[in-house]
Amino acid sequence: MEMESGARPPRVSIVYCAACGYEPQTIELASALMHTFTYDLGAIELIPWQDGAFDVAIDGELVHSMYRDGGFPAHDTIIQAVRQRLVR
Amino acid sequence: MIITRERFNQGMTYDDYKAQMSRNRDRLEENERTLELAPEDVRFFAELAEPLHVLVITEDWCGDAIANLPILGRLAAVSGRLDIRIFLRDQNPDLMDQYLNQGVHRSIPVFAFFDTHFQPIGHWIERPALISEMQGKMLADLYRTDPAFAGIAPGTSLAVMPEAARGRLMQAFAAFRAETRSIADREVIRELRELLARSLAGEER
Repeated sequence: MEMESGARPPRVSIVYCAACGYEPQTIELASALMHTFTYDLGAIELIPWQDGAFDVAIDGELVHSMYRDGGFPAHDTIIQAVRQRLVR
Repeated sequence: MIITRERFNQGMTYDDYKAQMSRNRDRLEENERTLELAPEDVRFFAELAEPLHVLVITEDWCGDAIANLPILGRLAAVSGRLDIRIFLRDQNPDLMDQYLNQGVHRSIPVFAFFDTHFQPIGHWIERPALISEMQGKMLADLYRTDPAFAGIAPGTSLAVMPEAARGRLMQAFAAFRAETRSIADREVIRELRELLARSLAGEER
């Protein structure tokens, strides 16, 4: 998917609980985003945290929270959320 | 489900557990080495009327387990009265589901004590209550007093937190862990002593 000319590329932030061993899920999601969007993302930010967190935000908007939504997000859910921002 | 001697003996010894750790063994052993034990605590466990079996549920990625399991390990070593067997949480859901935190959370570590006949004595989960309380107060103070948190609601995800507030939160947690280490260690031992004293006194009545 090509980004529309002049649009600011989306920035994805992934907060993961480093004390909980969530690194594999974090890397898998980051990898899925890299392979899907290649050059169209502004950044993928990985933020180690604690307390069972696994949260994903796109441009400062929380699109998944383990506390709020439960569990890990489906990759397709996050990919779809990024696509919606690319076409805005 | 009743914990039988046979099931208990399927667990790893403390040394076997450490040998199979894929991460954080250095941190666990450092915590074990630097733990300060009071003579009266050593005496309490050494003078237990009978040796106790301790079923432990843990994982090597868990920060609370890396902090608290070595306390149990040292108490077992110096007292000679605690027979520890360790089970990995994610490979033993049958055990884990018997010790859910508040009936819901699969919190670790779990220390479950049994007498020589495998009658349950009591169990301890995750971290001392005082440390959870202190952490809550630390966070409330931070949000109330630090300008970086102006307009940010407590509980806001780090994923949407401004860079300055995120940095302050990370600094505050690191300082809290360092500052409360000795309090946390003492509280773990106090809570374990209280659990055993209460349960064993009840048995004698």
